[in-house]
Amino acid sequence: MLDRLPHWAEPVADYILHTGVKNTLIIAGTSVFLSLVVGVLLGTLLTIKFLPIRAAIRSYIEIWRGLPIIVTIFILFFGLPTLADELHIEALRLSEIKAAILGLSLWGSAQIAEATRGAVQSIPREQHEASAALGFGWVGRHVNVILPQALRRLLPPLVSLSVNVIQNSTLAQILGVPEILETAERSTERLSIPTVDPVTLEVEGGGDNHAFEIYGAVFVLFFLISFPLTRLAAFLERRLVV
Amino acid sequence: MTVLANFDWSYIWEHRDELRHGLRLTLEISAIGIAGAFAIGLILGAARAHRIPVISQLAAIYVELIRNTPILVQIFLLFFGLPRLSDHLKFEPFTYAWLAVMIWGGAFNTENFRAGFEAVPARYREAAFALGFTRIRTFLNITLPIGFRISLPSTINTYVSVMKNTALLTAVAIPELTNTALDLLSTDFRTWEMLFVLAATYLALVWALSGLIRLLERRLALPEST
Repeated sequence: MLDRLPHWAEPVADYILHTGVKNTLIIAGTSVFLSLVVGVLLGTLLTIKFLPIRAAIRSYIEIWRGLPIIVTIFILFFGLPTLADELHIEALRLSEIKAAILGLSLWGSAQIAEATRGAVQSIPREQHEASAALGFGWVGRHVNVILPQALRRLLPPLVSLSVNVIQNSTLAQILGVPEILETAERSTERLSIPTVDPVTLEVEGGGDNHAFEIYGAVFVLFFLISFPLTRLAAFLERRLVV
Repeated sequence: MTVLANFDWSYIWEHRDELRHGLRLTLEISAIGIAGAFAIGLILGAARAHRIPVISQLAAIYVELIRNTPILVQIFLLFFGLPRLSDHLKFEPFTYAWLAVMIWGGAFNTENFRAGFEAVPARYREAAFALGFTRIRTFLNITLPIGFRISLPSTINTYVSVMKNTALLTAVAIPELTNTALDLLSTDFRTWEMLFVLAATYLALVWALSGLIRLLERRLALPEST
């Protein structure tokens, strides 16, 4: 299929599909994983009736859900390094991609925490009582009885979150991480610069950066990734409701 | 901590004019985007709920295209792709800015309104028909006022997102709040002052709007649903 493309498009498609897609998947995959682990933990703890814990988790959720994700990423990328000197923690000097992943994970974990709280609370009280009667402590009760059931109800929101994280991984472009959108942007920039053939001295390219075709292709690419997943989320929603 | 000790309130105060100008642009783009998203959602949502041929299918395609692609890609396509397509599609950056957030919000709002209108019990409409109401009068007098109230919480959520999405316009150098603060940050390196302004302003706006949802939910709750 790639053979039928105009000659300028081949290196562009190659760059976007190899470098861009790879980085988008790394960002999105890591963020979804972190969001799930942290979100399920915080969401379960949110059902404890101990006010300080609940208040702390509630603030976490409201802050990271309230801020535009790009502002969160800026706080991590520009703010944390100023603390690195003072606290002598070099790990706070986040790379661009790490700042993006962490920013997305803070937002995603807040979303998952809220969904988990709902899912855990939807498990009937008898399940808690029965497992307590069997001698399970709080941790054993949740790990062995409550969460396995709650996680089933968490599946549709988790798939929706994955779609959102994949789409929002484009925010890494603003810091210059070569994910799909950034590789597309670099391609349009490269195409707008004329190249001179070193032998014939003929000037080639330049002028048209093919921005419409390239960003249009990126648009289609994201649609092809997201659409099946949103269908899957809708399907799971219908399946698991009963 | 020296970071806290060095926090300089006067720096924020000295640059209040730039920041206020940025905030104004954020609010202007949000307001136009929200108004447009309301109109698009209302019209296309009604078309979807009533399965009006052609318009309903086109609206469904529009909704799926926008909901399944990142808004940042939509912004790039509008700002850099569209002007390349035709000279008639060259507008000012401000126009592209509100168009981008409006098109996004309109798609989400179409779904919100569709769900709201479809949630109006069929027996209400049947009662209206029995009283001799035409289809249009049934919509205006029954489906619209009730469906609107049902969809209110989800539409306000969409408006909050429209406002938050204006922060992404910094990627295409629209001098809204985020862009203004980042510009100042990169000239004077007063990092925490600017991050504080950004976080505090957005959280205040988002929390105020979310508070409004809860207030409206209580005030406008339908008698039947409580």
